[in-house]
Amino acid sequence: MKYPLTGKFLPGKSCIHQLDARTKLLCLFFILATLVTASSPLNYLLLLGIMLILIYLGQIPLAAAFSSIRRTWLFFLTIFLMNALFFDDGSPIWSWGIFHLSKGGILQGTHVVVTVIMVMILGNILTCTTAPMALTTAIGYLIKPLKLFRIPTDDIAMIIGTAITFIPTLFEEIETIKKAQTARGARFESKRLKQRISALFPLVIPVFLSAFRRADELAQAMEARGYRKAGKRTSKKAPSLPLQDRAVLISCFLMCITQYYVFTYLFI
Amino acid sequence: MIKMSYVKKSIITAVCIALCVLLPMAFHAIPNAGNILGPMHIPVLLCGLICGWPFGLLCGIAGPAVSSLMTGMPVIAYLPSMMIELAVYGLVAGLVMQLIKTKSTYANLYISLIAALLSGRVVAGITRALIFSPGSYSMSAWITSYFITCWPGLLLQLALIPSIVFALQKAKLIPGCYSYNNEL
Repeated sequence: MKYPLTGKFLPGKSCIHQLDARTKLLCLFFILATLVTASSPLNYLLLLGIMLILIYLGQIPLAAAFSSIRRTWLFFLTIFLMNALFFDDGSPIWSWGIFHLSKGGILQGTHVVVTVIMVMILGNILTCTTAPMALTTAIGYLIKPLKLFRIPTDDIAMIIGTAITFIPTLFEEIETIKKAQTARGARFESKRLKQRISALFPLVIPVFLSAFRRADELAQAMEARGYRKAGKRTSKKAPSLPLQDRAVLISCFLMCITQYYVFTYLFI
Repeated sequence: MIKMSYVKKSIITAVCIALCVLLPMAFHAIPNAGNILGPMHIPVLLCGLICGWPFGLLCGIAGPAVSSLMTGMPVIAYLPSMMIELAVYGLVAGLVMQLIKTKSTYANLYISLIAALLSGRVVAGITRALIFSPGSYSMSAWITSYFITCWPGLLLQLALIPSIVFALQKAKLIPGCYSYNNEL
């Protein structure tokens, strides 16, 4: 089990790293909205150019930005073939039984695959340049309006933050349990699928026991230090966005709106 | 009846969200394990059963989202439908567990699990047909993807989850009788 490169925060001092996590999250939503509404190849090229600029500015290694795509090529091929072979627009180029290869299907498949790949790259840019805790704090801040519906957003942010900090710890725990089970004869790396499947089952219950033991210890420690439900919690950082962040946010919003308007009403 | 504190329920939910990221990684030794075995479903269902519906709901929404951000899987394009499916699992597992009070803990667990697994699949199918793939989603596609492809996962969940609950009770990590105060 390898710890994935995708989504791993790469500490740095680039201008993208310096931006507030809230700014990056909001910009991601704006670009995602533009991507979802994109329809022409020129629109995709422009968005790809923006992503490459972001990768350059964020000083992100190309391997980190594109690794998840390389690992999931089979998934993309399946998606493309399913769209290309089953999308029936009435004028197939080639037909065989239930399979109909059509121009519309190929276009549809390309559209879906390109959109998903770009979404993955955008996600990688965000997670490579933003520390998980900063991201959690930003999510907690952005979901604050939900407080109007009596949803405890501070607690939700705390739970997600704790989950993110638990991941490396539990990852090591799983590795330890795996080694212990291997010593007892489990064959995780076996070439036989049946042996690999049967090796996984004795792993699950010890993993849950170990994880819940850690949860119990942490909960006791928190309660001993006076952590209780409710009550307004204070934050270390000032909630207002710095000036450069506001400028980036406004520019990104205007760029996305302009692009949407140009490609929707002027180009087509 | 021993009550689980709000803080403990919160931390168990956090651990279940972390396991939503890590269990699929552990299962990836098996080809296409994500679709067939549904390893992410186990912590969500467990969270709903142990901590109650608000925590199960949160785990179902946050689990796949955090996993997608940290590992790229599920792919963001499929994230909304998966979040809805898992959220219903966590919500219904917790709600039914709270409402059903038979004398047998096994019966309570199995009724809650089956209700959650069925309702999650029904809601996921409806949302796919109406929102995510309108016009191109059929009944046969729903049955294939939610029952035929993943029957090993269904069996795995029905066999493993009660065993995990009893193992946790035996280790005194959760109380014998769960208490539900539905505040989040």
